[in-house]
Amino acid sequence: MLQPPDVSLTPLLPVLIILAGAVSSTLLGFWVSRRVLTFINLGAVTLSALSLGLLWNGAASAFGGSLQADNAALLLAFVILTGTLMTLLVTLDTAWRARVSFPEFDAMLMYAVTGCLLIAFSGDLIVLLIGLEIMSLSGYVLATLQGSRRAEESGLKYFLLGAAGSAVLIYGIAFVYGATGSLNYAAIAEKTSVLNPENTAILVGGALLMLCGFAFKVALAPFHQWTPDVYGGAPTSVSLFLSTVVKVAAFAGMLRVFSGALENAPGWHSVLAVLIAATLIVGNLAALRQLNFKRMLAYSAVAHTGFLAMALLGTPQAGGAALTYYLLVYTLMTAAALAIVAALQRGEEGMSIPDLRGLYYRHPAYAVALAVCLASLAGLPPFAGFFGKYLVFQAAFQNGYEWLSILAALTSVAALVYYLRPAMLLFMPDRTPAREYGLGQRTPTTLTVALGVVGVTALGLLPNIWYSWVANPAIWTLLVGQ
Amino acid sequence: MTFTDWLPTLMIFLPLLGSLLLLVTPKTFRDEVAGFIAALTLGAGLAIWRGGGSELFRWDWIPPLGITYSVQLGGVSLALALVTAFMSFIAILYAARRIPNPGPMLSLILAMETGLIGIFAAQDLLLFYVFFEDALIPALLMLAIYGKSGRMAALTKFAAYTLFGSLLMLVSIIGVRYIGGSPTFAMTDLKQHLVQGSAQTWLYLGFLAAMAVKLPLWPMHAWLPDFHEQNHDSGIPDVMGTLYKVGGYGLFTFAIPLFPDASLELRPILMGLAAFTALYAAWIAFGQTDWKRLLAYAGLSHMGFVALGVFSLNETAVIGAMYLLAFQNLYTGALFLSVGMLQERIGSLDTRVGGVMTQAGALGGLTMALWFASIAVPGMAGFIGEFSILLGAYQVSPWLAFIAGVTTIGAAAYALTAFQTTFWQARPAGSVAVRDLVHTEWLILALPLAVLVLFGVYSAPALNLMQPAVRAVLTALGGN
Repeated sequence: MLQPPDVSLTPLLPVLIILAGAVSSTLLGFWVSRRVLTFINLGAVTLSALSLGLLWNGAASAFGGSLQADNAALLLAFVILTGTLMTLLVTLDTAWRARVSFPEFDAMLMYAVTGCLLIAFSGDLIVLLIGLEIMSLSGYVLATLQGSRRAEESGLKYFLLGAAGSAVLIYGIAFVYGATGSLNYAAIAEKTSVLNPENTAILVGGALLMLCGFAFKVALAPFHQWTPDVYGGAPTSVSLFLSTVVKVAAFAGMLRVFSGALENAPGWHSVLAVLIAATLIVGNLAALRQLNFKRMLAYSAVAHTGFLAMALLGTPQAGGAALTYYLLVYTLMTAAALAIVAALQRGEEGMSIPDLRGLYYRHPAYAVALAVCLASLAGLPPFAGFFGKYLVFQAAFQNGYEWLSILAALTSVAALVYYLRPAMLLFMPDRTPAREYGLGQRTPTTLTVALGVVGVTALGLLPNIWYSWVANPAIWTLLVGQ
Repeated sequence: MTFTDWLPTLMIFLPLLGSLLLLVTPKTFRDEVAGFIAALTLGAGLAIWRGGGSELFRWDWIPPLGITYSVQLGGVSLALALVTAFMSFIAILYAARRIPNPGPMLSLILAMETGLIGIFAAQDLLLFYVFFEDALIPALLMLAIYGKSGRMAALTKFAAYTLFGSLLMLVSIIGVRYIGGSPTFAMTDLKQHLVQGSAQTWLYLGFLAAMAVKLPLWPMHAWLPDFHEQNHDSGIPDVMGTLYKVGGYGLFTFAIPLFPDASLELRPILMGLAAFTALYAAWIAFGQTDWKRLLAYAGLSHMGFVALGVFSLNETAVIGAMYLLAFQNLYTGALFLSVGMLQERIGSLDTRVGGVMTQAGALGGLTMALWFASIAVPGMAGFIGEFSILLGAYQVSPWLAFIAGVTTIGAAAYALTAFQTTFWQARPAGSVAVRDLVHTEWLILALPLAVLVLFGVYSAPALNLMQPAVRAVLTALGGN
């Protein structure tokens, strides 16, 4: 007797709504303008976020556990959707200036988000891989969509390195399957809790290969080289998307795999610690030398990868909560900062740091908002970036990585210097003519910026409004499902 | 919940509220609003003093992380908060007249006041850190908006040194709680779960990194002269910067109770460093020809004294250190303002102008009186502080006390030399006429001076306030 497959669409609801947005963008694009599509997609994102509330505490699953709509997935999906919402709002204003204002842009964006959500909801390595590939392929297209040499170069670079990363990841998945005989997170976790010596070498190899693959996706040094070129070369709204939503999704995958399935597997912790140390040093020191503000933000994204990954070294309970808190804060502040760049830049290569001089006297609201974002990125209280940093320091410290916490503290000094320089330039009086695009200040972008600034301030003063959701340790002990 | 429980919170956040209020206040009333808020804050402080200090107020801020909002103003913290409120008021009084379009400056002064009073009131280690960093932001903005041409380098240096220390302190803070096993970051809980053994020494060093930068202690002092030199001529940011020297207070309130064994263990080295800082800074100050740099090094020298007092862990010396810390803010702050007035009149900060006294007698006279307070002439508040420190330090280490004592001679030398070459000597031919003090300028210099004389002659109220607090902290050392 053939077993009917365990198909349940309710846990898939958030993903399906986004997919519906993507499909409708593909089809309706023939008849309506892109602006209308963007509004439809904004609706889809909002609906999807509301459906997360519907699934809260339901611990639903589908396809025999391959897809998990547990609380961890819902929280991560919320962060992904927040980033998407901010991206969509920014593209309303800047897509036409960036010459990417056609329906395919929206369709690709929504397909990418579908992939991102699948990663967060994944219950086994195959769903993870499918999500990752949907996300990556859409991302390659997004980076190339603008018909300029710079965009093409960055897209090609992204594609080649991303493909290599994916290949390594798939190889790692195969190894893990070979060692444990399963692709399901729960089964892998069960197998690795009692280690079988003859398979350990293969398991360690698989874990490390997967680590390399993920390191490509989140830009951990030394696999970060594509980031500055891609973030710098792609249109700013795409950089915004890649550096927030895509990165959040990749971290969601890492959390599922490393803090969930492979939690008890040996070896990867110390390698990850070394990668983080390298990332902190390389990212922060390289950002120090940048003259282009957008490139500096790209390197700062690399540096933040190092901080974010520190959470994976903590116990799943402390680390999961810290990572999810930090991811939301990181999304809010990075998206708001890049939204301001997108609004005020004259060309897609962003603005140079000296051009920011005296911005306060020309666009006071944007200047103050940018200063708040930079202060938050630097980790200065009372903004939320501080608590994000504090939580990951604490997670790593508690689990015995004191040296890494100290290294992170020291490299943060460099970070402060490069965030501070532009932040202070904003307020210095300036008599030269303005060098930014004068008409960039528009309502949807301002809305994005306001969301980011209000978000980091509110989360900084009362971290509990988000942290109380993610703090429950029970969410993170069940990362593998079941 | 009575009103007195809310007073410290009110005193902390009233200036910040005023700072935000200024953003929407019409230009014509801005000075009055700022002054009123600052006066109200000072009034709240005096009300707390009249009530004999406040009780500990505790509210669970972020329960899952064990971070509480615990504040208390009493003893040493109340004294320092009062001085902060007083000097902020004086700074606002001067800024309103001196700086054209003073809106941002007044806002920043008030915002910084919140951070500073918060630092002194915080009784939770993480809350302390939050205020500690918060006070930094307005200081940086003052330098960025009103600074001179070399401000970017000064700013970067200042921020890098400060953050280097405070981030190491953050790691220490995390360690203090987790290694000790305390449920929260509140001092009351942390004191019951002290870290033992060598871990305590390591955590103390992390904590010390932040405080040594803020004090500042040699060799972490390099940011200080540039910070003062590049700030606005009026000296208002310098007043706020002077108030920012919270290192001595942080060591006293947090380091001694939390790391008692480590404090005793490292005492000889740290006392030596402190004595050296005092002497070295006095020596460098002697060679300065810029009034602001001179004052910066003089302040550094005083801070060496404060550090000597705190590190010696002796009751007399610690009381002296806290006394000096409080009143040093008054005279150094007022001196920065007097330098600002001098600059306004002669357009230069050089110490070799000559002959100012002949035309601006009141400015010269008040400045001289303030310098007397600074070099610890008996009858002024500075003397009580420095003398107590030397008296206490002598009981611990006579030689180091002697080295530090030599500094007082050095102080007299650099102060009087600079004063003499600026205010006396011959007036250069063809120089502009110098106007004497007008309007509120009298108040700005005379009020701090009056307080200094009052507490130099009649120190009992301040000492009564501080002594129980110091005793309570030193009991952590186990009756040393």
